[in-house]
Parts: sequence; structure tokens; C-alpha cells
Amino acid sequence: MKTLSIISVLFLTTSLAFAADKESDFYKITTFETPKETAMEVSSIELLPGDKLALGTRRGEIWTVSNAKGDPSQVKYQLFASGQHEVMGLAWKDGALYETNRYEVAKLTDDDGDGRADTFATMSDQWGVSGDYHEYAFGSRFDKNGDLWVVLCLTGSFSSNIDFRGWAMRIKPDGTMVPTCSGIRSPAGLGFDADGEVYYADNQGPWHGASTVQHLIPGSFQGHPGGNKWYPKAPNMGQRPPDPKDNSRMVTERERIKELVPPVAYMVHGKIGNSTSFICCDLSKGKFGPFQKQLFVADQSFSNVSRLFVEEVNGIKQAAVFPFLSGFKSGLIGGRMSEEGQLFAGGSDRGWGAKGGKPFCFERVDWTGKVPFEVHEMRAKPDGFELTFTEPVDPTSAGDVASYKGREFTYSYRAQYGGPEIADVIPKITSAVVAPDNKSVRLTFDVLTKGHIHELHFDGVKSADGKPVLHPIAYYTLNEIPAK
Amino acid sequence: MPNFSNGLHKLSNPHVLSRSLTKPKLLPMIFTCFTMLQKYSLFAAALLAISAAQAQTINIRTIAAQMKYDVEEFTVIPGAEVKLILENGDDLPHNLVIFDAGTDVLAVVSKNMEKPEEALKRDWLPDSPAVLAHTKMAGPKTREEVVFKAPTKAGLYPFACTFPGHTQSMQGKMKVGTPGPGLTGLKFAVYNGEWSKLPDFATLKPHREGDIADNLVQLKFDDYKNQFGVVYTSKLNAPRDAEYVFSIGADDGARLLVDGNKVVELDGSHSVAEIKDGKIALKTGEHDFRLEYFQGTGEAQIFVAWRGGDFAATPLSKWVPPTWGGDVKKAKTDGGAKMPLIVGNEPVIYRNFISGAGNRGIGVGYPGGVNLAWSAEQLNLVMVWRGGFIDTARHWVDRGGGAQGPLGYDVFQPVSGLSQPFAVLASTDEEWPRTNKQWADGYKWKGYKLDAKRYPTFLYEWEGVKVSDRYDVVGDTAKGEVKLIRTLKLDGKIPANAYLRLGFGASITPEGGGFLVSNGRLSLDKRDFQNAFRIAADGAQIGGKNLLIPARAEMKITYAWPTDTVKH
Repeated sequence: MKTLSIISVLFLTTSLAFAADKESDFYKITTFETPKETAMEVSSIELLPGDKLALGTRRGEIWTVSNAKGDPSQVKYQLFASGQHEVMGLAWKDGALYETNRYEVAKLTDDDGDGRADTFATMSDQWGVSGDYHEYAFGSRFDKNGDLWVVLCLTGSFSSNIDFRGWAMRIKPDGTMVPTCSGIRSPAGLGFDADGEVYYADNQGPWHGASTVQHLIPGSFQGHPGGNKWYPKAPNMGQRPPDPKDNSRMVTERERIKELVPPVAYMVHGKIGNSTSFICCDLSKGKFGPFQKQLFVADQSFSNVSRLFVEEVNGIKQAAVFPFLSGFKSGLIGGRMSEEGQLFAGGSDRGWGAKGGKPFCFERVDWTGKVPFEVHEMRAKPDGFELTFTEPVDPTSAGDVASYKGREFTYSYRAQYGGPEIADVIPKITSAVVAPDNKSVRLTFDVLTKGHIHELHFDGVKSADGKPVLHPIAYYTLNEIPAK
Repeated sequence: MPNFSNGLHKLSNPHVLSRSLTKPKLLPMIFTCFTMLQKYSLFAAALLAISAAQAQTINIRTIAAQMKYDVEEFTVIPGAEVKLILENGDDLPHNLVIFDAGTDVLAVVSKNMEKPEEALKRDWLPDSPAVLAHTKMAGPKTREEVVFKAPTKAGLYPFACTFPGHTQSMQGKMKVGTPGPGLTGLKFAVYNGEWSKLPDFATLKPHREGDIADNLVQLKFDDYKNQFGVVYTSKLNAPRDAEYVFSIGADDGARLLVDGNKVVELDGSHSVAEIKDGKIALKTGEHDFRLEYFQGTGEAQIFVAWRGGDFAATPLSKWVPPTWGGDVKKAKTDGGAKMPLIVGNEPVIYRNFISGAGNRGIGVGYPGGVNLAWSAEQLNLVMVWRGGFIDTARHWVDRGGGAQGPLGYDVFQPVSGLSQPFAVLASTDEEWPRTNKQWADGYKWKGYKLDAKRYPTFLYEWEGVKVSDRYDVVGDTAKGEVKLIRTLKLDGKIPANAYLRLGFGASITPEGGGFLVSNGRLSLDKRDFQNAFRIAADGAQIGGKNLLIPARAEMKITYAWPTDTVKH
């Protein structure tokens, strides 16, 4: 008798699991075969004319890829360049491919049309390289002003041994290098939002309780003081700001340090990821599903992609982070979304392990055309949040405060590596009001904590046709509380 | 009467052994012969031990792309038959030539170049009475062997590869060493039993005991094949206070004790392939030697040898493993390249941290086996080498920290490190400007261009002058001589009194229209090279320790190696 009931419970659980939606019902990952003669440790991806792609790798190769947008068995590779010192940034413009390698931005051109680069013209090599392996340089595509951005990792985790380690630089079209932001720690990706604002991914470590997505505002200090000794070499940046106090809070130090820009989002350590990397904005006008203009941010360690809804409150960018898609084959580093709404991603687990399990990968994500039931946007309100959904909600469950659970926490802003989630506040969700169109819910909290990450679970919310939310969790970094 | 055969008669023909065992009438005579010998000095006993040994086999490998043997020194016993096997794991041909003690190998080998066509016919074997023995020239990935009789005179006999350009780094020594004393008064005790590990023989009763006339540990018991044990006891004379190394090999288990102290043990059932060493410090004089052995089933073998003090490795057993090389000093090596970049018919570029080339080094491996490192910090040639290009494993495995040095050999640095190419000098004796570590003052790195054959031309600006710097290889390292031609072109108004520095060296000697530049030893990645090269360029002149050339619109410079005879 007892056995029977266990079996029936098992059966019930299993059948439920089968019925539940999976990520792959909505977004499909295709893994490409790559040339046997190399380890395609993708560290940067750019779109080229003629439906081609360029892949930059940690081994310093640049491959052009044909047919990557179509049948994966038809994909073809050609080695465009090799022997570069790690290609962590690729940008295409007017017939040339611009690479960011360890010590320069260079313009690569194929002068004889054989598909291989012939000229490697250095645009800028004016940042320092001390020989420490950690001093990576990640490069962007061209921004709305025609500049390239380069974020320079510190010498290791704490210090800056040579010029401008720990800074973001802009490279003007004439090759001039402009020191633009200080306070960088260990970047692993750069991207733009729909307005062309520049973001970079930083990684958990000193002054970073978790990995982050940060907004690169010219003149700003991004939070790690290790590289601030270079202010005298950057007169355009003004006076060196005061260093943050150790074991403080980001929200407290922002009061003291006017240049300090808080992270747009904490990519909560161990939950969202451990090592944030590429940042892509969906500009496909719906071809990648319902999340237009949102940011898709990868994680090297977790081999996944998360989704960020970014809004601006009191002039500061802040975002809600949602899990999006997991199961990539290796640690993601390079990524790029096409206008056709295909997300190309690749990476490597070398030196830093990754959940994916393969040493390297090059993959593509396609939207299947099915819309997942998800929280589409999460906006801060003076007394809570507003959630909009991708599909109409079931007003009963969505209107029930018991369907939601909140938690507010932060990280110590400290010189020590990483850190635990601290200063927990468990808010009471006082009301959940479903909008007349059943597409959004207005939540009121008894307390909002400025500067805290607001973790919200919405496991109880059902869609109009009874489905649970595919990813029933969000982490909102509440840098600012709106007045209205 | 021990039921042993003895060694002397069987040296040349091991089959005699089994026959003698069936003819016991021979034994008394042999025994007499042995007792006589035993009355001789220790040295006589030692000789006995040695002559009983089989031909000594020495295995030497060449390390791929490193221009090196894996053995620095090996020791043979005077007059012994030596079988030398050369395994050539490299992509280039190599031989191994043993020269008489005291030979200036480089001098002898360089004579090849006086008549290279004839030397080539001899496969580069020097035509010299100093050559004592040699293998044939082993092609890439092949092996050659030679059997020879070791010299009778103790001493150090150099060996080397005599292929042009290889000799400098492919050298070693054969030591002809005095053999050590053998065992005296060797006794055996045989035990019956079925063991998988060495038993405590002290608690067992021997089945049979006796003396071993030739004083060599051996296993030729006519009626024991499986499931027995032997304890050998003897006296052993240490010639002086010193540390001694004992080697054993056994199928199945063995343990060696001296004065009751365990020195080395190979317990359990295994093959004789493993030779294990143990050390013990002994005072001058007589010591108790005890070797315990057991045989389970299958093959049975026992080997023991010792070395130390001032004598060469000396077997104390009749049987010597064919792979046992005696006293072999392995060359320091990281085991060879793990992920080498292979240069085919196009140059290969490798930008990464290259030892000696600063933080913006650009390595280029050219067809023809010549490689260079060029600095994008100093905008100058930093280093030239030949053979293998570079091993990427340091950078392409794990996080990839640190700098990697050349994979090949014959490395030289024309201006001994990082330094700017051009400078304006008031006089040629003026000191060259010191290096600004990150970027050379007045210089601007502009990148590089690849031509149709993928040969790079490095581009930079100096004081408004556009400079291009390009390299071509003439000849092929694998075929002998090779040289590097550098072409610099300057476009713009060249400052007055501008010089290009070609070389820096403690010694710059004019020779044959060019110069021989030498700047002592160059150490990179724990490897040492002679920082020496030949150089020729129109208008080159010595200024202090510098070799300079007044800057002009086009300059051609030839670099070559001192061990090659290059016609500039």
C-alpha cells in the first residue's frame, strides 16, 4: 500500500515535469562544429557583410564564418588572421575589421581579396602591458560617435602596475586614446544598449561582492580604486576622486564620491552566475522574441545567458536580472546578436572552469517562435515594483500577495575579495494589483531599501492558461527609488 | 660443491652455461680457477665482475626541436663492449660521434667546412683520427646504433652531433670510469615457498646453501624455476668513506641490505624492467651485503650493481638488463615541446609574451628554420634563433601566464636585449640611448603588412621618418647553412648623424667583409646560448662595443651563425 502511494507520487511528479515548459521550447541552442586544427576558444564575435561572421579567439586567431545563420551543417570557416595576442574585441567598419588585442587596437584589411588579412595597421597601443597574464583588454564595436572602447583589466585583482590598467579608454578614429572611466577591475565584455549607451561586465573580486553589469559614463569612477593612480596622466578626467572606504556600502560611498557610478545590476554570485562576460542588446525588432531592446548578458562560469531589463531612475541606470537560457557547451566569452535575431555565442573554459563542460564552443541561439511566459519588465516604483508579463496573467494568482516572496540584500563594498550577501531585509508585500488588461501587476512593499538588490520570487503567478512563469525569479538592483 | 656454473667461460656464449650444468666433471676445474682469482686484490675481483657483464647498452635520444641530446654524460667501463642506440626524435638529421679524450670537438667539426662537398659525402663525419666511434647520420624520426669497444684508458671522451650548426649545443661526455670492487665470499641460501611478497627469511629454513665461486649474484639453479627464494650474503669493500648508490632489478621481488640496513627494495611480483636505486653512506672497509630475492612464477631475473666514491657503476650480478646504461646523467629538459607551432611553407606569426622580447614581442617562424622575435615596444629586432619556432603550451594551456622562450637553438640577440634601432649620435663612440621600457622615445608603432607569401614587413615611424623592416631567409637549417637578410627602408628626412645599431658585443671582430660579434652567454628559460653571430652590411663600422651603420634610405644586413661558413 505504502509502495503504491510512493509510486503514484513519483508518477505524478514525473508527468508534471514532462508537462512543464522548458527553455528549449522557446530558445534553441545550436552547437557548430569547428575546424579540427584549432581550439575555437571564441572571445569575440562580429557580424560581417554578406551574412558572414568573424570570430576572435584566445589563441589569437580570427576566423570568418559563412553560413552560420543557416543550416549548421553548411557552416564554413576561413582563417582570416592568426598569431594575434588574444582577440578580445572585433568591430567591422567600411571594409576593415578592427581587433582589440592585448596591447593595441589594429585595423585589419584584406588587400588582395583572398579572404586573409594582409595589413595590420596599429591604431592605438598607448596603454601599458606589464607581462601579467591577467591584463586582458576587451574591445567594443564602434559606438554612436564612431569611437571604439577598450576596458583594461587590472594587473591581477588589486593593483595597476602599468599605465591605465583598471580603466576604460576610448579610441578616436584618428587613433587618439582618451581615458574615459576609472575603477575597472576585471572586465570580460562590452556592449551597447538600444540608445548606444556603453556597458561593460566586471567580475566578482575586490570591491565587487558579485559580478556586475556597469554603465560606462565618461568621467565616471566604476568602483575599484586600484587604478586611480593614473589620474595625473588623464587631465581630461579632472582630480582623482577619493578612494572608497573599506567595508562600506556602495550606496554610502556614492554620497562621498560623486564620480562613483553604481553597478546597473549585480549578477548575483552563485545564482545568476560567477563570471559575467558578453553583453548584447536585442535590436532584432521582435525576431528574437518578446524582449526587444533588453540586454542579454552571458556568464563564463555558468555557461548561461541572463536577461536584463534596464531603466533609468534619477539619472542612474538600474536593472532587473532574469535567468534566460542555460546549457551552453562551454564558458561563454564572446557574443553578438544579428539583426535577424540570432544570438551567436562562444567561449572557453580554459583557466577558469565552466559548467558547460567542453573546452570551447561556438553556438547559436534561435527563437523558436513560441513566447515563454515570463516577467517582461520589472520597474521600480516609489513603494514597490511593477511587473509586466509576456502573456496575460491569471488575475487570481497574480493578484494574490501570497504568490510573491521578496528579499532585499546587498554586498559589502570592500577591498577584500567577493563577499557574502548581507543586511537582509524581508519585506512584506502589501498589495498585488492586476491591471485591467491582465498584462501587468503592481506590487507594493512595506519597505524598499535603496542600494539593495531586491530579490523577487513569483512562483505562484500563473498565466491566463494556467502555466507557471518559466523563470519565476528576478534580482533588481535598486540604486535609486523613483519619486513617482 | 655448489651447483653453480660460473661466469668466465660463458661470457661469449651463454649456451655454454646450460651445457656445463649437464657436465659436472668440468666444475672442479672451473672452481679452482675461481679460487685463484679470489686470492687477487679487490681490483681483480672487480675486473671479474665487469668482464662477466654483458655489453653495456646506452640509449640516447635527441629532443625534438631543441637541438639537444637527452643525455649529458654516460659512463662505461674500460674495454667494455658498448652498444649505443641513438633515437632521433627530431625533425632534423643527427649523428653521435665519440671523440678521443681532450679533443677540441668544435675545431675538428669546423674542418668539415673547409671542404663541405667532401664532408657532405661522408655525411658530415669529420675526417679525423680523433673520431673513436660514431653512429650513422640518423634521419628525422629514425634510429641508428653502433657497437664499439670502450677505450681502456679512464677519462672523459666528448661526443657530439657533427651536422653543420648542431655541434655547439649537441655535445656530451662519455666517461670511461674505473670499475668498483666486486663481492667477496658470496654465499647463497635457497628457500622453497610460494610467496607474493618477500618473506621473512630469518624465520625460514634454507633448502640448500653454498658458495658462489664467481662472486656474481645469479639465478642459474638447475632445479629451481618457480616458487623459491634466495638470500645472498657476502662481504663488500667500500674503497673510501662516501655515499654509494645501489641499483637493483628483480623478477619478482628483491631487497638489498648493507650492514642490516635496507638500502633499496622492489617487493612484490613484477617484471625486471624497473631498476630502482638506493643510497647509503659507507665507511672505508668491509661491510655485510645481503640481497633477498623471491621468484613466484614465470620469468626470473636478478640484477644488482653499485657505484659511488670514485668508481663507475659496476654490476654485482651476472645478468645485466640490456637497457641498463650504468651511470647516465640525463640532460636538463622539460621533455620537449608540448604544443609547438609548426612552420610550413609560410611564415608563422606568434604575438605573445616571448622571453627576452619584452611585453609586445612578435615572434616569426620562417620557412627554412630561422625564427626571430621583434619588439613592438622598441620597434626592433630582438632575437634570432633556428630550429623549432615556439612552444605555445605555456600560453595555450590553462590561463597562460609567463613568457615563453624560443623552441629552437643557436639563439642570439644582436643588440643584447631590448633597444631602439636608430639614434642620433654626436660620435660613434657615444653610448647608445637607454631603453624606455614601454615605448621607445620618438618612435611610433604602425603595425605590419604581409606580402603575398605572408612575409611580414614591420612598420613604424621615427622622428617623422617612415621605416619598414623586413626579413628573408636564404638557405635551410635542415640542409646545413642558412642566413637571415634584413632590409630596412626609410622614407622621409633622415636626421643628421643618425645611426642604426646592428650589433652590440664585448667582442666585435672584422672577418671576411663582415663582423663576428660575440657577447658572452645568453640565458633564456634556464637554457644557455652563445650570444654570437656573424653580420655584414655595407658601411658597418665599429663604435665602442657597438656595430653601427649610418642611417640611409635602404639598408641590407645579413645575419648568420659563427658555426656556418656564410658567403656574405
